[in-house]
Order: sequence, then structure tokens, then C-alpha cells
Amino acid sequence: MVRIVVPSVLASEAEGKQSFDVEAETLGDALRALPVADLLFNERGELRHHVNVYVDGEDHRERGGLVSPLEDAHEVRIVAMVSGG
Amino acid sequence: MGVLALIGTRKGLFVLRAADGRDRWQIEGPLLDTWGVYHAVVDERDGTWYAAANHTTYGPTVQRSSDGGQRWRRSRQIGLREESGLVLNATWHIEPGLPEDPETLYLGGDPGVLFRSHDRGESWQVNRAILDHPTRADVWIPGAGGLCCHSIQIDPRDPGRIYVGITSAGTFRSDDAGETWVPRNKNIVADFRPDPYAEVGQCPHKLLLHCTQPDRLWQQNHCGVYRSDDRADSWLRLDGNGLPSPFGWALMLDPDDPDTAFVIPARSMEYHYGPGGRLAVYRTTDAGATWESVSNGLPDQSWTVVLREASAFDDESVYFGTQSGSFFVLADGDTWLEAARHLPTILSVEVTSWSA
Repeated sequence: MVRIVVPSVLASEAEGKQSFDVEAETLGDALRALPVADLLFNERGELRHHVNVYVDGEDHRERGGLVSPLEDAHEVRIVAMVSGG
Repeated sequence: MGVLALIGTRKGLFVLRAADGRDRWQIEGPLLDTWGVYHAVVDERDGTWYAAANHTTYGPTVQRSSDGGQRWRRSRQIGLREESGLVLNATWHIEPGLPEDPETLYLGGDPGVLFRSHDRGESWQVNRAILDHPTRADVWIPGAGGLCCHSIQIDPRDPGRIYVGITSAGTFRSDDAGETWVPRNKNIVADFRPDPYAEVGQCPHKLLLHCTQPDRLWQQNHCGVYRSDDRADSWLRLDGNGLPSPFGWALMLDPDDPDTAFVIPARSMEYHYGPGGRLAVYRTTDAGATWESVSNGLPDQSWTVVLREASAFDDESVYFGTQSGSFFVLADGDTWLEAARHLPTILSVEVTSWSA
């Protein structure tokens, strides 16, 4: 079981819920189980460009991306990329 | 009867209400905070609010509310099939169907795509004939605004006759409910292309059909203002004769008078502000033969523009919002009233009747 923490914009799209406890083998499976999955992925199933995902504080890209197994991970945190001026 | 204005901005949706006099306005918002609302409309068939909402991080969708904007639900099924090689970049315009099709809505988007919903906006099916149009691959070249399907007009006499306006592609008409589409750009210039009078590749900025004379359409194009009286089979250029520039986005009509229209010229494609640094509205009452400035109450100097979805009209007045966050309404005596200011960049304006 991993806890996924989402930012406020996504929480407001999920009836105010800010975290979700998900049972999944891979990070991608866990994200796709969220009720806001359609906001994280485009219609090709690609993670949107400005979405960052950290697994226990580590950028998911550094640990094998969406196919990486969650194993003993405790927390997945979704963070919108900093952009703009 | 009062008026309710849905004002889409880069930072959410604002709702303005005024009583019959339209001189005092109440502001509510932002709703859909942080979403860029490219267009929002009240479906007068059942009162549902729809918003073409686009988020810089979380992408495009359609949001809808059946309780006046208090709670919103987003569409779950929207997007392009993988074999198209395209992804949906933005949702641009929502057009409710005719009263005899109460479940049907249309949605225009980027890259030059049209969707139809048969379940009041829960799911959207892409129009294959537009997606696979034979001219798309070679001629539809996105400009600065992308390839946005921003105008969807349905002939009130025939739900099978539909017009769409797509930037950098042109105006298209279907006479068979979207099964096939024919380009309808005759006499419309595209001076940014090697062949300025090609069949396809023009850049309509806004396309409107007149509700009581549906064979008549108007368009503010990248290259001029045009009118058609034959269901877009041919177009007559109308700028000059009082208009200071052929370029602009906004277009408003008078439901009671097919010969009246309003435009808000911008200097040119390179200079996105009014000629002379002035925000000015121009009106014709003779079907475009002549134009006059109707600008009392507007600022003398203003380096702003009015975007393609940011103007509206009803039986009583015309309305527009600026890139600089001001919302204007034409009050009695042909004087503009600034009903709101300091809003975020205004992307869209729609109005509907409202009573307290």
C-alpha cells in the first residue's frame, strides 16, 4: 500500500481528497488508479509534461519511471512543475 | 430581464450579474480557479453551465455544472485516438445543439478538431470527417494561435447543416450532420500564403450565423471582415469604408437586425492593439457597406485587444472583455460602461438572461 499525495488543484477535482491509499505493483498502475488519472495522463497514456512525481522524495525518472515497482515505497507525491513568471 | 455574463479568464471563470438597466453589476468568482476558461456558456435548454477549461499542467477538458457554478464535473472521455497521431492541445468552444436535440453538444478544439456529445457532455466523440479531412495534412499549418476550432454554428432550420471556423484552415460546411465537410472560403484572402485565394488555408478568427436570417454569415478573418448571403458559398469583403484595419478577432451581431454587426479592429497581425493605441468598436447598420466608430466611454489610449471569444450579444446590448481585464457593456446612448476592471486576461464572454 502506498499513499499518493496530490496538490490542491487535483484535490479539488477529487471532491477535496488530498491523499489516496493505493495498492499497486508499479508507479504507473498506482497513478492510473486515481480518480484524477485523466488529468495526469494524455489520451496516449503519457504523463503530462508539467507533472512531476516523486517516490519517497526521489524523482520517478531517476528510479525507472512509471514502470518502476513500488515495492516498499511509502509515499508518492505529485507536484506541478514550477513554470511561468 | 437582467443579464448574466460568464467571463472566462486565464485564472478561472467570473460571473457577473446585472438587473434590467445593466448599469450595476455584481461579480462572483473565480470559479474553476486556476483553470484557463477559453469559453463558457449556459445551455439554455436545461440551464447547465459548460466551460472549455484548460490547465497549464493538467491539460484540456470540459467542466459542467448543473447548479449555477457551485459544483463542477469534468468530462471523462475526451481525446483523440492514437492512430490519428494527434493529441488534444486545448478545448476552445462549446456549442449546445438545437432544442430538438436536447442531449447533443458540440465542442471545438485544437488541433482543428470537432467533437460531439450525445450525453450532455459526459463523453465526446471526435468528428472523423474533420479529423481525416483530405486537406489537413498538406494545408492546415498552425499559426500562433494553433489550429483552433473556435466557431461552431448550426442552422436553426436544419440540425444537419453545420459550419465550423478553424484557424489556419478556413471555414467548412456540412449539410449531412458532419458526415462530410466542404471548404467554404471563396473570395476570402489568405495573404500569408503563396496562393492567397486557395480553397483552404484561410484564417477565420470568428464566424457567426444570423439567427433570423440563417443564410447570412459574418466573419472576422485574419485578412478582413466578410459577409455571406448564400450559406457561405461565397463571401463579400466588407472592410474599408470606415474600418481602420481589416485585422481583429471580435465579432458581434444584432439578433433583431441582420444588417447590423460590430467589430473591434486590431492594428495588424504584428501589432496586437487597436490602431493608434485606441480601443475602438466599429458598427455597421447597412450590412457592412459603411462602418462608424461607437467608442464613447472607452479609454482614449489602451494597448489591449479583444480576443476571439471575448465578445457577446443579446437582444438588449453587446458586451466584450479585454486582454487587460476590463468588461464593457454598451449602455443607453451608445456609451460603453466599464462594468468590471482588473480581472485576469479575459478569454471569453457569453451572456444569457437572468432574473434575481
